[in-house]
Amino acid sequence: MFEEASEVFDNMFKSSFPLTFIVFIPAVLILVSPLPAEAAHEFTVYRMQQYDLQGQPYGTRNAILNTEARTVEAEVLSRRCVIMRLVDFSYERYQKALRQSAGAVVIILPKNMSTMPQDIVQFMELEPEMLATETIVPVYFALEDDELLSIYTQTLTSSSSQGSSSAAEVLIHTATANGFQMVTSGAQSKAVSDWAITSLEGRLAGTGGEDLPTIVLVAHYDSFGVAPWLSYGADSNGSGVSMLLELARLFSRLYTYKRTHAGYNLLFFVSGGGKFNYQGTKRWLEDNLDHTDSSLLQDNVAFVLCLDTLGNGDSLHLHVSKPPKEGTAQYALLKELETVASNQYPEVKFSMVHKKINLADDTLAWEHERFGIRRLPAFTLSHLNSHREVQRSSIMDVRPHVDLRKLSRNTKLIAESLARVIYNLTEKGAPGDLQIFTEQMMQEEQLSSVVDWLTAQPRAAQLVDKDSSVVSTLEYHLGRYLKDVRRHYVKADKRDPEFVFYDQLKQTMNAYRVKPAIFDLLLAFCIAAYLGVIYLSIQKVVERLYAKSP
Amino acid sequence: MTLFHFGNCFALAYFPYFITYKCSGLSEYNAFWRCVQAGATYLFVQLCKMLFLATFFPTWEGGAGVYDFVGEFMKATVDLADLLGLHLVMSRNAGKGEYKIMVAAMGWSTAELVMSRCIPLWVGARGIEFDWKYIQMSFDSNISLVHYIAMAAVVWMFTRYDLPKSFRLPVTVLLGLCVYKAFLME
Repeated sequence: MFEEASEVFDNMFKSSFPLTFIVFIPAVLILVSPLPAEAAHEFTVYRMQQYDLQGQPYGTRNAILNTEARTVEAEVLSRRCVIMRLVDFSYERYQKALRQSAGAVVIILPKNMSTMPQDIVQFMELEPEMLATETIVPVYFALEDDELLSIYTQTLTSSSSQGSSSAAEVLIHTATANGFQMVTSGAQSKAVSDWAITSLEGRLAGTGGEDLPTIVLVAHYDSFGVAPWLSYGADSNGSGVSMLLELARLFSRLYTYKRTHAGYNLLFFVSGGGKFNYQGTKRWLEDNLDHTDSSLLQDNVAFVLCLDTLGNGDSLHLHVSKPPKEGTAQYALLKELETVASNQYPEVKFSMVHKKINLADDTLAWEHERFGIRRLPAFTLSHLNSHREVQRSSIMDVRPHVDLRKLSRNTKLIAESLARVIYNLTEKGAPGDLQIFTEQMMQEEQLSSVVDWLTAQPRAAQLVDKDSSVVSTLEYHLGRYLKDVRRHYVKADKRDPEFVFYDQLKQTMNAYRVKPAIFDLLLAFCIAAYLGVIYLSIQKVVERLYAKSP
Repeated sequence: MTLFHFGNCFALAYFPYFITYKCSGLSEYNAFWRCVQAGATYLFVQLCKMLFLATFFPTWEGGAGVYDFVGEFMKATVDLADLLGLHLVMSRNAGKGEYKIMVAAMGWSTAELVMSRCIPLWVGARGIEFDWKYIQMSFDSNISLVHYIAMAAVVWMFTRYDLPKSFRLPVTVLLGLCVYKAFLME
């Protein structure tokens, strides 16, 4: 048969040369074409943070992955992708995977994260530890769904049954088990160049002459967590931003009427890059104090109040780097806060926390320290006792973490205290329980909707660029109440960048069902046997046919 | 799953054809070119069937769950053209006696193998993802080889004049079964 076939092909070659091209070029093209395959399951994964802060790298350095899946119980973990569920997650297991030079780690997060509070707290504590160690291995987070869960259980059964069974079992196991190959579709991560962190400022001018004292209110709008796409930052610092907008609204209403127009300038600043050592604030201060001739910040600053994480809890801490001296506006605010808290909101425990600025630390503690370095009197108000609390930088900080009643109560408290300072009410003899703002002025629905909107999207600094909707909506909001709303951009210095962000933070991962290599050999063996049987049987049939017919 | 797996499926699909060709003695009769001609007739018949179906049977917009008996029945009837094609091959192709059947059937089923199975195997079995259906497809091609041999034999018997009357009925029934096999399976 091959002779005839070769004759045919010879004719084809000799007769018409172009014909052979037509036949063979497509064949060759098909042979070398890349192969788009269908996956058993395709899902979105979110990468762990990757950034450099002041030259120090943090987080995972790698993004691509094309390895077989295993769970942590398997014996051989090297160059495999380790899948873990949040319920089984612990730092020792994570370290074990890394020590055995695993290819990647994928952590499956439950859809409804608030159902298991102990796991959440444990995970929150681990987040900064995971970020502190620089890993070459890509670490991804995925939200759980049914198919992913079934993939996980299948991998679990195959991983845990390795190395404990007889040879026959292993043979059957290789034939029937389903392995999974995890492949990401993106490229390797690289540094994003020219990323601009946006901040917004707006003001309300006071009345009554030049050189009025200025009060600055600051809140940073970005959020932080172990995975940028999953950090919604509800309490830290969505609560701060919504409170700032509410204060802007209240005081702009007061400032529209001549009778209530006070003699203080109010400057509102919504800063970006807050979780990365307050880059927005730092550059804003440099621009305003060093590079311009006249700015509100250069003249008479009464004090700077930073709002950070105020959406929960029954305590309020005023963090200062230097205790305020008597007779200053700072001291007045401190006293007013104490008065209002004790008279009108007895359930709130108010205290002052004194912490000196430690310039030897890698990062600054609170936002007011940036102002303190430039010798502006500043403090931060927060319900957290220490800046090291893990709630400030966790992906578990989602909308249910903010208690709207407490947020609204804190807003009222701060508004009252500020009003008492601005209008000098205590000196004028107003009693401690005088309520300036009536119930109608406070709009809880507005607070609620702002918090809902803020927590609907991740606001990590790497994801909010200057065209982002978060920035433009905030700009619009501020523009409704304040004058001179301006944007302020921070770009990292070219030669010695303070911060470097990396891309490829969200990927699509495909899980392909694969069989172990032995399976192919087994199958080849079976097919060879089958073909042998067929050959023999056909031979027998043909022989019998020949024997019958004469 | 890999090229190796593709090789496995291809071997499973193709080797029985090869073995049948070798062992049935067709190679002694220089029947290779005739098989190719039979394959070309297969292509032509399929093309005609497709054109016919596309022209005369618009897409049925019945509900998704309702099985459209009449429409599918008509479509299956078009498969009669398959039988006509086989008959055509056998009558026109020179070839002695019983070997006509073998030639026709071999050519026909090889063409079907190449046309309908090679591309899915190439695209699918070579990918990373493993699915049992490729092994199933290759095995299915073995079964269809036997099926086409039987079908060609029955067609041949149908066209013989000197067939006893008693055989007529079973032969017709078998032919009918061949054509409507897909339809009855539903």
